[in-house]
Amino acid sequence: MVEAPMTPVRQLARYGLYAVLALVAFIYLMPLWVMIITSLKDTEEIRTGNLLALPGSFNFDAWVAAWSSACTGGTCEGISTYFFNSFQIVIPAVLVSTLLGAVNGYVLSFWRFRGSELMFGLLLVGCFIPLQVMLLPMARSLAFFGLANTTTGLVIVHVIVGSGFTTMFFRNFYIGLPQELIKAARLDGAGFFFIFRRIVLPLSTPIIVVTLIWQFTQIWNDFLLGVVFSGAETQPVTVALNNLVNTSFGGKQYNVDMAAALIAALPTLFVYVLAGKYFVRGLTAGAVKG
Amino acid sequence: MAALTINNVVKNYGQGDVLKGINIAINSGEFLILVGPSGCGKSTLMNMIAGLETVTSGEILMGDDDVTNVEPKDRDIAMVFQSYALYPNMSVAENIAFGLEIRKVPKDERMKEVQRVAKLLQIEHLLDRKPGQLSGGQRQRVAMGRALARRPRLYLFDEPLSNLDAKLRVEMRTEIKKLHQNLGTTIVYVTHDQIEAMTLADRIAVMKDGIVQQFGTPQEIYDNPANQFVAGFMGSPAMNFIPCRLVGKGTEIMAEVQDAFGKVQYLPVPNPQALASMSGKDVILGLRPEKITEPLQHKEHEPLIRHLQLKVLVTEPTGADTMLVSELNGEQVDCRVGPRFGVKPGEITDLMLDMSLAVFFDPETGARIDQ
Repeated sequence: MVEAPMTPVRQLARYGLYAVLALVAFIYLMPLWVMIITSLKDTEEIRTGNLLALPGSFNFDAWVAAWSSACTGGTCEGISTYFFNSFQIVIPAVLVSTLLGAVNGYVLSFWRFRGSELMFGLLLVGCFIPLQVMLLPMARSLAFFGLANTTTGLVIVHVIVGSGFTTMFFRNFYIGLPQELIKAARLDGAGFFFIFRRIVLPLSTPIIVVTLIWQFTQIWNDFLLGVVFSGAETQPVTVALNNLVNTSFGGKQYNVDMAAALIAALPTLFVYVLAGKYFVRGLTAGAVKG
Repeated sequence: MAALTINNVVKNYGQGDVLKGINIAINSGEFLILVGPSGCGKSTLMNMIAGLETVTSGEILMGDDDVTNVEPKDRDIAMVFQSYALYPNMSVAENIAFGLEIRKVPKDERMKEVQRVAKLLQIEHLLDRKPGQLSGGQRQRVAMGRALARRPRLYLFDEPLSNLDAKLRVEMRTEIKKLHQNLGTTIVYVTHDQIEAMTLADRIAVMKDGIVQQFGTPQEIYDNPANQFVAGFMGSPAMNFIPCRLVGKGTEIMAEVQDAFGKVQYLPVPNPQALASMSGKDVILGLRPEKITEPLQHKEHEPLIRHLQLKVLVTEPTGADTMLVSELNGEQVDCRVGPRFGVKPGEITDLMLDMSLAVFFDPETGARIDQ
């Protein structure tokens, strides 16, 4: 494509565009900015100072308190334990639901059977059933299997809730891969899992990354399932953050609240920054003519 | 020995039969071409031979083994796909060796086989590349290499040349023919290109609407088509179909046509016995363009040669020869004349008709009536 020459009018329009973008970026980044500077102030400065003003001195006391000594309900040990709880929930839940989605998508795209389209339709419906509807039956089932208030139980719930989405992601990606690749591999003598492992998975990097980011964000940020299905010892960080903000002795410690919220949000930010790099496109170029 | 036998095979997807009782048998080392317009069922039949589609009824034999319900991986078949279907995450060498790896062939033997195939196809310099880094023609060669590496009992080619440009297609066609001659492999090849079919095949199955219209050698099919569809489909430019009436002239039976001056002329038929009872009937006369030429001295004495005065509508020089478009009994006819036959559009000229390979069809059903 050849770019049109820059006339004064186009130049002006371009600056207008930048102005709009800058404004939107400002609106989105403002709350983050306020959170960061507030977490670095002490309570006195927050009470007397301007909301948007820079802190007089950088003070990390609030971060330390949020991490290790702030009170969350009954205990006063910060959110560090719950932060690690979250990892114990998120890592297995993300990996299992992603793998499950990949296998499901592979079957629904390449090994169609009578009723497989209906199956996929039902899975999609499953994606959009409100979580609240599942709470009671899920609680009964977990109790029945003796998994109530355990990390394992919560992981299973997240896998069940998430696999509808992960299946949809993988199925919609695989439907774009040429069917003939699978036919060729079958004629070469490869079986179901061999084809999956050697041909399909190596081509799935982009969709694996997308699914990992999606699932990590969903499960890390989940509050409802965490508050319902975890015990006091196994609470995820989102629940702890809620407890921390709602527990107050004396004055409201906004700086600690902000620091705790930032700590709780860091892993998802980190995953975006890290995994975004591996967002590979066009890996299948060359499979077919083109 | 029959390498592949297809016995009364039917395919039904639930709304009528897509394939309606296919019967084909080829010998070991033969090159079979399935040809027909799109939707004729040729690709479905090939997928059934490969085992990628189930057979509704009938049976498929390889040698003496019934493979009708055998998994594709156990049939010992290799297939070259229209889209090549190279594994994009593997190098060329890995692509070629993949089938051997699955069959647990030791690594040094695999490497030897890759080298052999690469040499055969002149792709040795490409072995470390990924499919994405290859041109269309190179991908085509790799796809063939992958099929050749396993030395299977049967090779299937599914329109392998249709993604290549015209020049490369002709080159690869010759290469495939050479490979077949050198290796003596049994090949089933699907195409919609009748020129590919004629040039490559030992035997051709012309298909339409899920039925094999004719199964025979290329020359049989060209000279002796079973019906009007086969006659029109095979050959380029297509056979001329001239509506005419058969008339009895004494003991003879002749086809009645009108020349450019509206004068009635009578053309002899090659097989008068078969048409003896058809006097007075309207039929379709099929005559290939190369049988209507400028007067050729050396053919004058042949028994079924006649001359007609015909009006030239269009001339299309191709270099090697010139196609004339003329008119006979109200139907356009193509004629093939020498490049130096000076004639201009609008002129009436004397053309020679060789009726020795003329064929006749029923105008309603398209069936051959002179056999």
